Amino acid sequence: MSQPVTPRRTTRASTSAPDSPSSPPKSRSKPSPRRQLLAAAAPDSPSSPPKSRPKPSPRRQLLAAAAPVPATDDNPLAALLEALPGRRAQARDLLRLLAPAPALPVLLHGGAATGKTRALLLALRHLRLHLRPTPPLVYAALRSLPSPRALFASILSQLKAPSSSTSSRQRVPDKPSDFVPALRDALAGVVSQGENVYLVFDNLEVVRGWDKGGQLVSLLLRLHDLLRLPQVVLVYVSSAAPDAYYTMTGSVEPNHVYFPDYTVDEVHGILMRGQPNPKLYSSFLSVVLKPLFRVTRRVDELAAVLEPLFRRYCEPLGSLNGVPDEGIRRRLYEHLQPHLAVAQNETFSVPIRASLDDCKDGISGGKGSVKRQFGGRDGLSSELEFHMSVSAKYLLLSAFLASRNPATLDAALFDATGGTDSRNRKRKSSQASIDRKDTMAEELLMKGPGTFPLERLLAIFQCITSVSEDMLDEVECEDTIMGGSGMNALMSDVLLQLSTLCNSNFLSKSRSCPLEGSGRYRSNIDEDLALKVARSVSFPLSKYMYRR
Amino acid sequence: MRKRRGEVLDMVLEDLKKEHPDAISVIRLNGMLHSDDNCATKEIARQLCLEHQLSFSKMASSDDNTDFMIDMLRECGLAHKTVIFVLEEFDLFAQGKQRLLYSLLDAMQTLTSQAVVIGISCRLDADQLLEKRVRSRFSHRKLLFVPSSLDGIQRLMEHLLMLEDSSLPKNYVTEYNSRLTSIFGNKKFKGILGSLTDADATTSNILRFLFRVVSYMDMESGLLSMECFTHALSCMQRQPKLDSLQDLSILELYILVCMNRLEDKEQNSYNFNSIMKEYRSIQDAYKTSDKYATTVCFRAFEHLLDRELITFADSKGRNVALEYRPVKLLISSRELAQSLELNTTCPAVLQKLLDRERYM
Repeated sequence: MSQPVTPRRTTRASTSAPDSPSSPPKSRSKPSPRRQLLAAAAPDSPSSPPKSRPKPSPRRQLLAAAAPVPATDDNPLAALLEALPGRRAQARDLLRLLAPAPALPVLLHGGAATGKTRALLLALRHLRLHLRPTPPLVYAALRSLPSPRALFASILSQLKAPSSSTSSRQRVPDKPSDFVPALRDALAGVVSQGENVYLVFDNLEVVRGWDKGGQLVSLLLRLHDLLRLPQVVLVYVSSAAPDAYYTMTGSVEPNHVYFPDYTVDEVHGILMRGQPNPKLYSSFLSVVLKPLFRVTRRVDELAAVLEPLFRRYCEPLGSLNGVPDEGIRRRLYEHLQPHLAVAQNETFSVPIRASLDDCKDGISGGKGSVKRQFGGRDGLSSELEFHMSVSAKYLLLSAFLASRNPATLDAALFDATGGTDSRNRKRKSSQASIDRKDTMAEELLMKGPGTFPLERLLAIFQCITSVSEDMLDEVECEDTIMGGSGMNALMSDVLLQLSTLCNSNFLSKSRSCPLEGSGRYRSNIDEDLALKVARSVSFPLSKYMYRR
Repeated sequence: MRKRRGEVLDMVLEDLKKEHPDAISVIRLNGMLHSDDNCATKEIARQLCLEHQLSFSKMASSDDNTDFMIDMLRECGLAHKTVIFVLEEFDLFAQGKQRLLYSLLDAMQTLTSQAVVIGISCRLDADQLLEKRVRSRFSHRKLLFVPSSLDGIQRLMEHLLMLEDSSLPKNYVTEYNSRLTSIFGNKKFKGILGSLTDADATTSNILRFLFRVVSYMDMESGLLSMECFTHALSCMQRQPKLDSLQDLSILELYILVCMNRLEDKEQNSYNFNSIMKEYRSIQDAYKTSDKYATTVCFRAFEHLLDRELITFADSKGRNVALEYRPVKLLISSRELAQSLELNTTCPAVLQKLLDRERYM
């Protein structure tokens, strides 16, 4: 038992020595003049990660910032903890687990927008600050890599020395069996100089969705054993819990570090950073944050919705510089309250520039206009936000009706003249029919929109376009598109429009039975969107919809 | 028990190599990388070339490689050299057609070759996975590595943690060792060890635990204390799903409770629309302040999907919109009830809705 274990034992002895790299900064000697010169001569790296607004920092910037900068302040540990609000425990954990080498692999997991990558890169920057030569950091951003081959290429290119010109000779490995020896060779070249290499895999959970992703994930998690290079420290960042990665084989499980979501107070602290007027913003947050927190706890979504709300909040104030007192605060709150109620009921989408300007210029009085303005931002408006050709709109409406109404109703709704049968035959609803309606309602909830063959779609389309033609003839519209000759134009590119709608996912093609001939389609839009489309072409959709 | 097997094997091979230099060549294959036959034969050929200082051509086809392997085996046999094939993750080689295993074991049957095939696997039934023709060539010799007893583990820990280096100051070493001995004798430590090994008694788990313990070492004094062990144990015993449940917003908890109620009502499959119906009925009945629009609820629903607390019950429905696909819970009712109790901001009505089903 002695031989294989001894290497580890000396490791532990070396970590137990009081002068390990992760010792607190107070015991570190001041850098000598020569070191300061060297540090000054080091290539300029971009500034420290932005501490201002709570927008999630772009990872490229962080990566560049993860390159060690010369230590300018006396207490870099405190600076690190300051840059990671609410993450003190996790940062300390990371420093503890990553500092000694050889280190076991580490898995960071937690929900989205919890600061995992940021904490990791800042901690690595802090660790690599004190080591000369700087250990290389290989970062594989799995979310932006489309395939295993791209992943292998990315890692190997980061490991290759920039002076090497033999890159053209070596092909990028396609299969893991070629990649692991290539990686081992590249790493052996680096660690032979005695330094550590940090290999980071970010967003490991996306690999599961790749082709043969399951095998690749278990391979990546086993790299520690396959490489057998103790100076390589592997770090995995994942939004999926470790349960997702348990395999049947006994692998070295990485050490887990869990990143919980931020609490209300931590979010408060994060959002307060870099605000020009802290008192005003904190009075704003004290009324707004708690209700919005009940809906979602993600900082990025909250930041997106708070921005326009804050603008609304400050509207009654002349300038943004004042410190509000009690009376002003109450007034501001009353002004904000209707907007808050609306904002809570909308999904937090980032507004586009144009509609923001509309908001600013719009009238800010009355609840009706408030709803419209807010709605214009977030898509609950009564108007369609994108452009569609008229024939496409009619096609969409026909698809919606075809999916929604049972086929037997077509004859009643669309008679020969294309008009609806407006006689509402009122029948006494018996208990059986009520039950039947309930079960049909249940089915509609469960199964979703039904499928229809192409012929039915085209038939309905022809009916409703002829209806609109009639209606517009009555109204004597001057619009040339809707003139009689224009109808042929509508019909001619129907099939083209159909394929466009399928590609945009408004319609989807179901599996077609080979006996039946042409394929069956299904409409994917919901009632709100259909009503909007109908309104935009002045089509009385509700008359045609099957009411249960 | 991968670590021990691999290392014991390595030790034995090292000893053998020392005893009989030049008489042994080792070819290592790994099931994770080389389960494909072509890759495997290429790797075997490459390693054989490396061992015997021959040049290896990457362009050689699989048949060429196999012929080369057979030739080499014959040559080695004639030269009285033993070739040892070490197949790690042996069970992964047993997937598919097992052509490689068959050709390897077949090549060994010839009189002139002196080869040994050693397979390492975690599965006890690895040999049951073999095809009949492969199993008939297998010698059925199995070595089982059992996890060690509690005493063995304790001895291992002592061996790993005790310092014997003379490069460190003497009084530090003695103080460190004495501290450690007192910890090992403590009853609390036995409890920690028992709780650790109840879950997983493999060496890799013990090593992970010890790594954590050492990472908690007090930097000022350089000594280990009982807190290091307790901290390390609590880190190892986290429950990710419960942690995840603590991170949910109130609306997401509402959705989970609605799903739980639907499952209780014995609805075999339900989708987002059914959940919304249940949600609205709860809101109408209790008139809480948490009534939100469908789009907002759908966003919360998507968050739950991301966290893998719920998932789609059908794996194939691609053509159907998300609202109509059946979903199911991935947490038990007990976990949900437990997390609601631990959640300080949870509204009382949620507890009431769940408690009716008496899960605690």
